[in-house]
Amino acid sequence: MQQVQEQNSDVSQGQYVAVGSAEYSAILTFLYEEAALLDQLRLNEWGARLATDLVYTAPLRHTRLGVDHAKSFVRSVMHFHDDYRSVMGRILRLSGQSAWAEDPPSRTRRLITNVLIRETANPNEFAVTSYLLLTRSRFSDHHVDVISCERRDLIRRETDGSFKLAKREALLDQSVLGTANLAVFL
Amino acid sequence: MLTNSSPVLSDGTKISELIYPETREVQMRVLSDPEIYELEMEKIFGRTWVMLGHESEIPEPNDFIVRDMGSDSVIVARDKNGEIHVTLNVCPHRGMRVALTDCGNATIHKCIYHGWAFRPNGDFIGSPVKRECMHGTILEESELGLKKARSVSYGGLIFATWNIDGPSFDEFLGDAKWYYDMLFLRSDKGMEVLGPPQRFIVNANWKTAGEQSAADGFHTLTLHRWLGEVGNYSKKGPAEEESDEPDLTPEMYGVEVSSPHGHALRCIDLARKIRRLTGLEPDDLTVQQKLDALPPAGMTKDMVAQLSNNLTEDQLKVLTSMPPQVGGMFPNILFGFVYIPQPDGSVVGSMTMHTYIPRGPNKLEFCNWIFAEKDAPEELREKMLKQTIQLFGTSGMVEQDDSDTWPHMTLAAKGAMGRHMTLKYQAVYETGKPEGWPGPGIVNEGFTKDDTQWHWWLYWNELMNAE
Repeated sequence: MQQVQEQNSDVSQGQYVAVGSAEYSAILTFLYEEAALLDQLRLNEWGARLATDLVYTAPLRHTRLGVDHAKSFVRSVMHFHDDYRSVMGRILRLSGQSAWAEDPPSRTRRLITNVLIRETANPNEFAVTSYLLLTRSRFSDHHVDVISCERRDLIRRETDGSFKLAKREALLDQSVLGTANLAVFL
Repeated sequence: MLTNSSPVLSDGTKISELIYPETREVQMRVLSDPEIYELEMEKIFGRTWVMLGHESEIPEPNDFIVRDMGSDSVIVARDKNGEIHVTLNVCPHRGMRVALTDCGNATIHKCIYHGWAFRPNGDFIGSPVKRECMHGTILEESELGLKKARSVSYGGLIFATWNIDGPSFDEFLGDAKWYYDMLFLRSDKGMEVLGPPQRFIVNANWKTAGEQSAADGFHTLTLHRWLGEVGNYSKKGPAEEESDEPDLTPEMYGVEVSSPHGHALRCIDLARKIRRLTGLEPDDLTVQQKLDALPPAGMTKDMVAQLSNNLTEDQLKVLTSMPPQVGGMFPNILFGFVYIPQPDGSVVGSMTMHTYIPRGPNKLEFCNWIFAEKDAPEELREKMLKQTIQLFGTSGMVEQDDSDTWPHMTLAAKGAMGRHMTLKYQAVYETGKPEGWPGPGIVNEGFTKDDTQWHWWLYWNELMNAE
């Protein structure tokens, strides 16, 4: 049952959008703003940037031999397996009075780097990969949880020129996560 | 350090002095003391049966997974004949870990250090440069294999123990087996994992999670209060909207089963759900009618005919009125076979199990498996998988709050004063079995109480004080 699927082909195919181009900057700005909204606990505003056909997942990661590297990503049971409705449900919970896993909230920094953008068959959709280093500080613990991953996104340009997140797959690096839960978004 | 009676800690305190049977209290020192932790590795995880995974994780010959029995890494491997073996993941030559990956398929497990090689069943095959005989002639080759644990499969769940001549697995489950069979042995083909387990670290003593899994009902009311505020149990009816207070109390009624071996099950009353689904009084319905209205969590209407092949009439009676929904197995297992209400009024089941692997006095690894019946339709499996991930485990909206609580208890138990405070289990049942209850064990009915958790601690105490 350890089914492992290859990366979906719709991401990572087309031409690169040149680093520093206007289009690249617009999408990079979207990613930076998104990180700021999450770090500032403006979850409803973040939710407004999600497409209603959102697919939001975080595969498990296994330690495998080099020859089996592709099998180190596990997409059967995952850490997140969400859609628009369930992510909005999470936001609703976190915005309530009793979501103790994030109340008091963690102090987080989402550092976004190594952003590469490719065109897709749809001129208004972009396959965007980015690295995320998320630091999570809780209570008075001087130790900070570090969550690192590569995000493979599908970002869609709406008719008004704004962007929405249509798909995110967060490829976490740790086979055993070093944080007590994923009550924070990646 | 050991004496004839209770083990004595370096400050002269006996382990047995940390448990107060008269008042049903446990000194919090047990949650943080490194000496106690080391004793537990020998006296609990070195003696009892420990869950390692499920057969469906290693379906093919020579498949293996690497898991933990307490503080020891073990290889769980299927041999070419399909038989499953559990062996210590330590090379008998110089102590290197033999299997370095999380899983794989290997006919030979070869240590990367000096090249000693072993079969999936742990037998020694040989060492490099045979004529030079690196492994010497002092020991027989039959003595050079990986250390073998005693293992058993129960409903496909793989358990192992180092207590080679100890109680059988059935003896270990005791009366509680009657109830666990309703979960793990109910269907013709059995269950399977929907993938490998989620794994993550919580900075907490393993017992904070272990004792909670021994069926803490009360915490749901407060820690999981969001379920009544915005979650699946939030009130919808117009009459109830007048109150701002979320009400999870109806989910607190049922029957609780505990065991002299620390096993615990909360059998939660299905009456409300059945009433809502059928509009009829559950007492007026036959077992079959109830099964049709609300199949057991994770089963479909088409599958319920299988139940009578595998369970007794008495078990069916319990399964359709007050099925075991959450609980644990001693020492570090949680099971959840729950009915998740859907927005359209229907119900989707969730079948999950956790182990809380001790990683030191202040650290545990949370390991979460998600299951489905082997012959469950694809559409149901997909729903169960998504909903279980969304509610339980790493990102689970319910269990996020648990894993953020246990570290605080562990920290509190380190305080010079805090460690002398006690955990209290003083909500005591006075009801006993419901009339006509057909099941065995220590059984009480009504609103949840602390008895099951207290029995968990009594068994902990018994094992810690055993020779």
